[in-house]
Amino acid sequence: MSRYAITAAIAINLALCTVSSAYAAEAKQVFDFYCAQCHGVKGDGKGINVGPDFATDPRNFTLAKDMEKRTDADIKGVIKDGGHSISKSPLMPPWGATLSEEEVDALVGYIRKLCQCKAK
Amino acid sequence: MRSLSITVFLVAALLVITTEHSYAGGGNVIFKKNCISCHYTDGPAKEKTIADQLAKKGPELWYAGSKFQKAWLVAWLQNPIPIRPMKYNSLTEQNPGDHPKLSASDATEVTEFLMGLTSSEVKPGMLKAKASIMGRKIFIKDMPCSGCHAFAIRGEVHGGKSGPSLIGASKRLNPDWIYAYMANIKVFKPVRDMPDFSSALNPKELEDVAAYVTTF
Repeated sequence: MSRYAITAAIAINLALCTVSSAYAAEAKQVFDFYCAQCHGVKGDGKGINVGPDFATDPRNFTLAKDMEKRTDADIKGVIKDGGHSISKSPLMPPWGATLSEEEVDALVGYIRKLCQCKAK
Repeated sequence: MRSLSITVFLVAALLVITTEHSYAGGGNVIFKKNCISCHYTDGPAKEKTIADQLAKKGPELWYAGSKFQKAWLVAWLQNPIPIRPMKYNSLTEQNPGDHPKLSASDATEVTEFLMGLTSSEVKPGMLKAKASIMGRKIFIKDMPCSGCHAFAIRGEVHGGKSGPSLIGASKRLNPDWIYAYMANIKVFKPVRDMPDFSSALNPKELEDVAAYVTTF
């Protein structure tokens, strides 16, 4: 019986890992497609659009000290409503009418992976 | 009487064959031979996922007749100066500028074909280029348009690189299409890296931006 339990546990773990990895892959694809043009593929704020016309650089998601100050709800809000909504750069577009809730949630999770941090 | 019927039949048959031949040698055929591997022309939009969009080698052209100005298109097909700073669907590779060139006659034929591909979403004759103060404010200051699209002010180039350049939009694009594209972008490109601005801007603001962009 315990052998069955161990086998079942391994199978569940494997399934969870596969789902998690597929989710991560999808989140990266969403980030690369929509966000990397300004925030860079590495999330360091060095996308191809960034130039002298940018009054401020796009957020560097790899800076944990900076990203710790923002809650997941803060990040989600800016993704959906744009920089304008929090009196930050209007160059951050409102993506709410473009992305699904699942995609926005996936992006928040991916950004947390980039900074390897949580909100404090 | 019988020979007359045969003659009429033969002439009619020849006429049909000639007409078919003329069509077969037209822009549609030239396009299918040279362009279809990168551009699709049978709308509506097919892309459903990011992977679908990334698999495309070039922009869809099923609404080209609503989007482009005819004189620009026929000239561009003969001298295709890059419109996008970056290679299509790439954030790392520059546009190599290797779009095939067509002869003057082929460019004319293909233009005729493409200009016949229109979208009912675009209402022709609604807008004209206008140096709208509100359009400029939205484009440069309030919204992120300039973050991705290059444009020029008094000859000085500004703006980003990920989107198609808007320099020369006054000759290239139809303002009615720009309006329709922003007002109902999902119809034209369901999956794209440009945000949907239809809820961020009202119809008058979208008109102002479309009119302003076509002054570039």
